Amino acid sequence: MSFQQKNIAVSLASFTLILGFFLFRVVQMTLNDSFISTSVFWLWGITIGLGIVVTIIGTILTHIVSTIIEAIQTGNKDPKVEDFEDERDQLIDLKGTKVAYLVFSIGTFLSMLTFVFDQPPLVMFTLLISFGLVAQIVGDISRLVLYRRGF
Amino acid sequence: MSKSRINNKIRKLRFDKDEMTQQQLAEQVGVTRQTIIAMEQSRYSPSLELAFRIALVFGVPLEQVFSYEPDDESK
Repeated sequence: MSFQQKNIAVSLASFTLILGFFLFRVVQMTLNDSFISTSVFWLWGITIGLGIVVTIIGTILTHIVSTIIEAIQTGNKDPKVEDFEDERDQLIDLKGTKVAYLVFSIGTFLSMLTFVFDQPPLVMFTLLISFGLVAQIVGDISRLVLYRRGF
Repeated sequence: MSKSRINNKIRKLRFDKDEMTQQQLAEQVGVTRQTIIAMEQSRYSPSLELAFRIALVFGVPLEQVFSYEPDDESK
């Protein structure tokens, strides 16, 4: 498994956990009748902040762990991890982004539909964030599939 | 697994060139070893520029490294 694949796998696991946390909190708020703007704004902030922090820390940790594994496997004290993106990595990243945008576009459309059912903007934006996370997850899955299957 | 219709003889040419490793070839053409593996297994068709760089490393014309298998309809 290359560095890029490991990075995507870490991102996939992280965003799945973030989506799980987000949906759990939304369901909890709905059941407790606390689905109000202040608590929902707090949740949005936490979710977006977590997404950014986890992406940065995930990349750094993947790099450190890959270097340690490479050092153990090769016995080299100064191991080189192939962390640069070549044309194949860039192409796979572009295709994954395309899939993620497609999912997010459908999600945006579905979120807008909540207005048809007289739902407040709070519901629309909560759905929008959920679809943003789902789009990231689907994008990561498609990237991993492209690495495995080829194209 | 999807196989591309562009076939190559990279593996054979590597062995003919003093058993060059995938890592050595990857470093010479500026890609990762994973990309060389994907090309050898016909899971990735390289860009024209990369194809020329690979041919240059082996010192042979492009058509000796890569060949194209047309559809039955276009034959």
